[in-house]
Amino acid sequence: MFTTYDLLDDVADLRNWFDGFFNERPYLGRRADYPYVNLYENNDDIHVAVIAPGVKAEDINLQLINNRLTIDTEKKSDYLDKPYIRKERNFGAFKKVVELPYRVDPNKIEASMKDGILTVKLTRAEETKPKKIEIH
Amino acid sequence: MNAELTKIKKDAYNNEEYVLVPPVDIYETENDFVVKAEMPGVNKDGVNITLDNNELEIIGKINGNLPDEKNLKYSEFNLYNYHRKFNVADTIDRNALKAGLDNGILTLTLPKKEEVKPKKIEVKVEN
Repeated sequence: MFTTYDLLDDVADLRNWFDGFFNERPYLGRRADYPYVNLYENNDDIHVAVIAPGVKAEDINLQLINNRLTIDTEKKSDYLDKPYIRKERNFGAFKKVVELPYRVDPNKIEASMKDGILTVKLTRAEETKPKKIEIH
Repeated sequence: MNAELTKIKKDAYNNEEYVLVPPVDIYETENDFVVKAEMPGVNKDGVNITLDNNELEIIGKINGNLPDEKNLKYSEFNLYNYHRKFNVADTIDRNALKAGLDNGILTLTLPKKEEVKPKKIEVKVEN
């Protein structure tokens, strides 16, 4: 069907564009590379939370090099080869390096995956803890 | 002023509170439409799915398992409750919806009605 040009259509388009901007708010973080990371610190404990929905625990490769935590994983598509109607999610391999504020004890690392959030709990290494120097 | 702000938010996000729009994939199989939504931080109890007329509404409440905000030293994300709405066609069987949540991914299966499923038509050979 052919329609005549109407200036109001352009105005309506603009409105839709604006509405879309607010409705389809970009998701979670924006200025960072995927996956998004939060780092919490409580005294000598570090808690790293990584957003990784749909990533299987066995596909995650965590590595600690000095005070850098490397997260290396692949998010595999869960509906391969099926005709899709809407596609907004991303799949693929990703790698992220998180720089920790100090050296951590490599023997006291706990990592778990729950509700699409990877949690890594680390503890400050004994040798980097501040030491009080006695004056005699 | 506050009421005005609430109204603006309500118009903009279809909701009074600040919500995240979960990214969604929809695909089709022979018998179903499948919706997959990413909602990290939500567990089974936090998901609320309603189908009102042809409006499918997905709400995910985050479980608040993250550590205390005051210990946050570096941040790339912020979790809020999730909200999303879709219009669905009449061709789905409204009484047979299935939903599952696995590792932050909500899978919603909307079966097609019997009459719209593909049918194999036998071709008879007449001599």
